[in-house]
Amino acid sequence: MSAFEFLLQGLATAADPMMLLYALVGVTLGTAVGVLPGIGPALTVALLLPVTYRLDPAGSLIMFAGIYYGGMYGGSTTSILLNTPGESASIITALEGNKMARKGRGGPALATAAIGSFIAGLIATLLLAFLAPTIVKVALVFGAREYFALMVLAFVTVSAAFGDSALRGLTSLFLGLALACVGIDQLTGQARLSFGVPELLDGIEVTTMAVAMFAVGEALFIAGQRVQVDEEVTAVRGSIWMSRKDWARSWKPWLRGTFIGFPIGAMPAGGAEIGTFLSYAAEKKLTRHPEEFGHGAIEGVAGPEAANNASAAGTLVPLLTLGLPTSATAAIMLAGFQQFGLQPGPLLFATNPTLVWGLIASLLIANAMLLVLNLPMIGLWVKLLKVPKPWLYAGILLFATLGTIGANPSSFELGLLLAFGVLGYLMRLFGYPIAPIVVGLILGPMAEQQLRRALSISQGDWLYLIQSPIAATLLAIAALALIVPLILRARGKGEMLSQLAAEED
Amino acid sequence: MSVSRHEPPRRRDTAALIVAAGLVVIGAVLLWDSSRLADLGGYSGVGPASVPRVVGVALIGLAIWTAVEAMRGDFPLRAPQNIPPVLWIVAGLAAQLILLNVAGFSIATGLLFAFTARAFGKRNLAMTIPIGIAVSFVVWTIFSQLLMLHLPAGPLEHLVFPRG
Amino acid sequence: MKQFVLASLFAAATALPAMADYTIIAPANPGGGWDQTARTMQTVMQEEGISKSVQVQNVPGAGGTIGLAQFANQNKGNPDTLIVGGYVMVGAILTNNSPVSLKDVTPIARLTGEYEAIVVPAASPIQDINGLVEALKADPGAVSWAGGSAGGTDHIAVGLIAKAAGVDPTKINYIAYSGGGEALAAILGNQVTAGISSLGEFEAQIQAGTLRLLAVTSPERLEGVDAPTLQEAGLDVTLENWRMVAAAPGLSDEQKAKVTADVEKMVKSENWQKQLADKGWMDTYLAGPEFEAQLEKDVAATGAILKDIGLVK
Repeated sequence: MSAFEFLLQGLATAADPMMLLYALVGVTLGTAVGVLPGIGPALTVALLLPVTYRLDPAGSLIMFAGIYYGGMYGGSTTSILLNTPGESASIITALEGNKMARKGRGGPALATAAIGSFIAGLIATLLLAFLAPTIVKVALVFGAREYFALMVLAFVTVSAAFGDSALRGLTSLFLGLALACVGIDQLTGQARLSFGVPELLDGIEVTTMAVAMFAVGEALFIAGQRVQVDEEVTAVRGSIWMSRKDWARSWKPWLRGTFIGFPIGAMPAGGAEIGTFLSYAAEKKLTRHPEEFGHGAIEGVAGPEAANNASAAGTLVPLLTLGLPTSATAAIMLAGFQQFGLQPGPLLFATNPTLVWGLIASLLIANAMLLVLNLPMIGLWVKLLKVPKPWLYAGILLFATLGTIGANPSSFELGLLLAFGVLGYLMRLFGYPIAPIVVGLILGPMAEQQLRRALSISQGDWLYLIQSPIAATLLAIAALALIVPLILRARGKGEMLSQLAAEED
Repeated sequence: MSVSRHEPPRRRDTAALIVAAGLVVIGAVLLWDSSRLADLGGYSGVGPASVPRVVGVALIGLAIWTAVEAMRGDFPLRAPQNIPPVLWIVAGLAAQLILLNVAGFSIATGLLFAFTARAFGKRNLAMTIPIGIAVSFVVWTIFSQLLMLHLPAGPLEHLVFPRG
Repeated sequence: MKQFVLASLFAAATALPAMADYTIIAPANPGGGWDQTARTMQTVMQEEGISKSVQVQNVPGAGGTIGLAQFANQNKGNPDTLIVGGYVMVGAILTNNSPVSLKDVTPIARLTGEYEAIVVPAASPIQDINGLVEALKADPGAVSWAGGSAGGTDHIAVGLIAKAAGVDPTKINYIAYSGGGEALAAILGNQVTAGISSLGEFEAQIQAGTLRLLAVTSPERLEGVDAPTLQEAGLDVTLENWRMVAAAPGLSDEQKAKVTADVEKMVKSENWQKQLADKGWMDTYLAGPEFEAQLEKDVAATGAILKDIGLVK
């Protein structure tokens, strides 16, 4: 049988009404747990995997696929509506998505996220099905120096989220980098900035920090405003559904996000959040409405959400082709597959085609089910914004702490939540942007470790960093992205930038 | 800064100077901590102390820049703050933190819920605390009993679900 | 009335521990070996009726020492809470100066174990373990090793190999990766000279011919594995990365016997054996005084090699 026939056979199995029901249950459960800030897809899948064991292999595979996609998607709803990104991959979604929600455009924001996730999931799953062996060869070329170059590029592009002041953007970023130093140094096992506190040895949990900075900091800031401004609680303005213009502005970011997110997800040390950063930066550069960025640009939701979901499918590439679990989620999935007697590895596609194609068909069905579940829910979700402020913010803090407690019920973690919440409040008060500090915390350790690994391999030779064509190219793009805007700004005060963007379209 | 262009130059900004001082302290802590690390750079030449050192120096540099802007009054205006609501929320989070492992999720989180509602104008704690505990209990039930999340249980949870 | 309500609340709360429901602490994030061990125990104990309801709680951090400290401090005399741990914890306790050690809990039994495997990419000019040792002797810095976290089992194994080969263990060029997957990708991508991890991580690649297996750290040749032991190659190194289950400190002898019996019942069940086979884990069940003696030996040997590598002063 050819690959295509296997896929059709898998889809036929999955189209059974009972199977569709399992998919729906999986998606619902996954969304319900994944929606909690602080609980990412890894924990969602770990918690819910045992539920799938009670079914036959086909049924558990499809429910599992539902849980996975549900858990990946769940975070974006709360990010958009409540500004509480629960995992690093939905931080960027919160930036523009929440601004849209505040202007009464929560409906279109949720819709572009849902449809973008669906399209990205669809394309990425098909790429996974037909190109996985090729993609993985490319991904393996990435070694420490290439990753380092990729991180440098991510650092440069992330400055797109810096806001209007270079000083405050950089300060926020470097505070994040300082926090990133806390904990045991991965390469030598030495404790840094832990001051003998054992809880600090593992560093600062990104999700705790993100929830604190966004959800708690925001609640404190709104509470502290003397004049309670009510303009932002417009639940719905205009259509709840995406307008023709929204579609026109969304479809390109969806596709670009997919093609940025998928390969990065396929890289063994890529990580979903890097894809969302790069997608956001790309959209900001290419948009015809640069003035809307930072105030609710729909491209800034569509692109990163697509990138996020595409990288979720990308993670499966090394898992299925090499048996390489490249994220915590993937490691748990590996354990799940073993329950069905499926041993991921280089020979999997050859030795066990029925199960592999069954999984891929399940992913496609679960992806569609996610859309079926979420589009009708948008009307309901948006009503959440009509909840009176006291109850809304009480509820936000309830769920924000619930996620943190569920992930790790320690007083220390809650103490960090409180401390970073206050820091987030103070930073908002002084006009510091929030995204760079979280980004610094995420990217800092990655960049540092890859640099040091690369230099260890080369025994201290810095030239090694630019001796690979991929690394050199990435570094060159980063350098251009840094220098060109400076020159343009010096000459034409940014007007040329938007002109350039318009011409490129 | 574009803000100051439209306004008469402001006086020096004391709060921003305190921020600058805070940055110096953080930078200094990084430098002090990295100085006591054994430099196990090995073959790479970049050891565990290198990155904290760079970040520490950068933060001190940024502190100087901040101080300059503060002296010029270049920081954006801050809206006057209403402090008591902020303190109510902080107190709610602290109460939850302290009570969580003693009184269980519902009671601890119920207090956080009520205090937050108070910060936003629902002042009657006699009404909001029971509501908060009830809401938290429902949430606890859903997530710990149906979705198998591990959430601390206290007397209330044990009363209804003796098997916790 | 109010007092009555309070009293019944208390009665309900204190009546709880009478039920033999276990909580298993996995001192790591979801996905790792300890987490999977804990969740497999959960499944088997529930399905075999050893315990009605088993909860798994992740307390991640610092090589398991955070979970261990929390477990030892909060559960004195509580026979219903167990913790999963392993060899990695032995090293982590030393490198992190953990105030709580394995002496502060009640080790029950070793459950599973894995041996370490030394591999090179298929394209590597190094053909066998002697070739690797020669390269190491000639220029230790030029031989880069990819493995797991610093001070972990993989790092310790490389230190032991260097020492046995007469190379200064502080001179090894060990590159720590965060997860098994990342290290494997670096080896497959020809980024490093050699790789070291548990055999299971590499098995599929060895079968597919993308990695060359040079040696394993078992005391005897392993069935179905076509590679010499390190001892055969003249290096006096054996190392097993084992996983265990421990109970809380301060248990009475009956309580300890009860937990040991429950664990034994679980290990002896067909269900557990099937789970091990599915996951490719070896059954290295060992309980009682034999396990305690083994543990003591490992702690002493690990302390010595970590000093040699320079990670512990």
